[in-house]
Amino acid sequence: MELATMQEGAVVSVAVKGRLDSVGADLLKARVSQLIEAGTARLVIDFAQVAYISSAGFRVLLIAAKLAEHANGALALAGIGGEVKRLFDLAALTEMFTILPDRAQAVEALANHGR
Amino acid sequence: MKKPANLIYALEERPPWLVVALNGVQHVGLIAINLVYPVLVFRLAGVPASMLASVLCAGFLVLAIATMLQCRRFGPIGSGYMCPATFTATYFSASLLAVKTGGLSLLFGMTLFAGVLEAALARGLQRMRAILPTEISGAVIFLVGLSGGIAGMRAMLGTGAAPVSTAEWWAAGITLGSMIALNVWGRGLLRMLCAFIGLVAGYVAAVLLGLFGAEQWQAVAQTPWLALPEFSHVSWSFDAALALPFAIASVAAAMKTVGTLAVCQRINDADWVRPDLASATRGALADGAGTAIAGLMGAVGINTSTPSVGLSSATGVTSRVVAYAVAALFVVLALMPKLAMLLAVMPRAVLVAALLFVICFILISGLQVMSSRLLDARRTLVLGSAILGAAAVEALPGMGANAGAGLAPLLGSSLVFGTVLALAMNLVFRIGVGQKALLTLERGAAEAQKIEDFFVARGAVWGARSEVIRRAAFGVQQLVEAVLENCWREGPLAIEARFDEFNLDVELSYRGELLEFPLTRPNERDIREDEHALRHLAGFMLRQNADRVHSEAKDGRCSVLFHFDH
Repeated sequence: MELATMQEGAVVSVAVKGRLDSVGADLLKARVSQLIEAGTARLVIDFAQVAYISSAGFRVLLIAAKLAEHANGALALAGIGGEVKRLFDLAALTEMFTILPDRAQAVEALANHGR
Repeated sequence: MKKPANLIYALEERPPWLVVALNGVQHVGLIAINLVYPVLVFRLAGVPASMLASVLCAGFLVLAIATMLQCRRFGPIGSGYMCPATFTATYFSASLLAVKTGGLSLLFGMTLFAGVLEAALARGLQRMRAILPTEISGAVIFLVGLSGGIAGMRAMLGTGAAPVSTAEWWAAGITLGSMIALNVWGRGLLRMLCAFIGLVAGYVAAVLLGLFGAEQWQAVAQTPWLALPEFSHVSWSFDAALALPFAIASVAAAMKTVGTLAVCQRINDADWVRPDLASATRGALADGAGTAIAGLMGAVGINTSTPSVGLSSATGVTSRVVAYAVAALFVVLALMPKLAMLLAVMPRAVLVAALLFVICFILISGLQVMSSRLLDARRTLVLGSAILGAAAVEALPGMGANAGAGLAPLLGSSLVFGTVLALAMNLVFRIGVGQKALLTLERGAAEAQKIEDFFVARGAVWGARSEVIRRAAFGVQQLVEAVLENCWREGPLAIEARFDEFNLDVELSYRGELLEFPLTRPNERDIREDEHALRHLAGFMLRQNADRVHSEAKDGRCSVLFHFDH
């Protein structure tokens, strides 16, 4: 799995590429923790290039959302479709996250967060 | 059956009477395009023009009976779908051969034979499931579209056809343009009646452009308004030498019926996954009975109208009530020779434009059915060869010239040749295809990609639905990931996948502790903080992912069975 981070104003987006399984989840958790510690509170995780997410992947998303909330920020997910959307529904976790169609909309939504 | 979002009036719904009536007229107008087959056959048989309308009226009565047999369920007969009957290209070459060889009596005798044979074949369709897989049904639908579309183009532009005049191009453009514009940008009634309005626009254009000339007006004027259908031309004879071409046509008709009814099933059900062979069997029985009745009553062979089904998909009206209207209109036409003659003299440009419009929907339906399955090299070769073979027959019409009497009918029709080629290659390629596959994973090398590759490869060999294969692959990957840390203690993890057309069972076994498959999801806080809850989330997802899960542990060996309906 690969991660690409992009700063867009006060929002940081992390594009995930590949499989978000237990190995990928550890990498993503470490990156999110690092960003929050560095003062980033508004996070977008872009799923446009993700083909698979397991229970471990969902766990790290729940942790990331909680970390962002504690830092008075927010987490938004973008680019969820096809098989990944099916897996979110399967885990009954779709309602737990702020999900927007694409990264640009998610960044815009978080840029206005708290205003 | 779940109503798809694009349907306005589904199978069991009752549209307003005006919608029913106008849709009925539209379908009859479309089916009238196929009058070209009996008209050509009867002309070749020497039936005088003055008698042609009367003979066509007998044919309309046959279509009325066959439509009712198909859309109603009479015991084991009839699919119950809005799938009207039509004259067909399938019997065209065999019928021409019959009238050349032994006149009308041989044509009707052989048509009766073909109908009885198709009805007999219908009874065996369930047992023939393995040799009639879904992707071949898709190929048959595609080939019906291909052969029909090319026949239309050939009639308009082929070397044997009269040169196309500027006026004809305009009439064809107006007909096709009206249909497309109303279908793409029209709303409500305009969209539903796009083909009929296009036909009327085409007739009006043809009259204004001088394509509906004195000859056509005279033919219509000389035909009476009311008359009973004429059966004096009917007699029967049989020639064993023609049994093969009619048998092949009958197999193709059964295949086409199954394919057309698969389209009916698909457009009426948002949850459609495979052809319902029980309904297809009743449909093929009705179709065979219809052709047998055609032979008895002095008409050419009939078949389910794929263009009509394409039209119902395009308009969003698949109500069975429309089929009753179609049958009623056929009866009216059977009693009104003047109207039959008006349709019989439809200008070429209008006829071909309408045909091309509906063929588009048939072609894409066929492609969609074919691509609903994973295709390995064998299936790719079967479908590719069938399509290429059919295209070769169309492109090289002389290739069967020296093939001999037995093979000539096979090479004389792209639909028949492509279908028979696909069936034969499918039978050959079944050799060596096991329905069971094993994969063993070691603890240190349980790569997800290996699991993915295993399922994709086996799915393609089996011709399984890609969606089911994706679910199975996810199930195994998630289970392996969940048990790897704490449950899978030692030794290899064995995966056995078993497939038939209706089931995919995946059984995993390993030594260690059994994973739980709870009915409810753990809460978010527990998922974040508790390792057990994380495993429960995996078990919960796996239970949701499969249609059935069974697990057991015995002597330290755990076994998990995922069942997927296919």
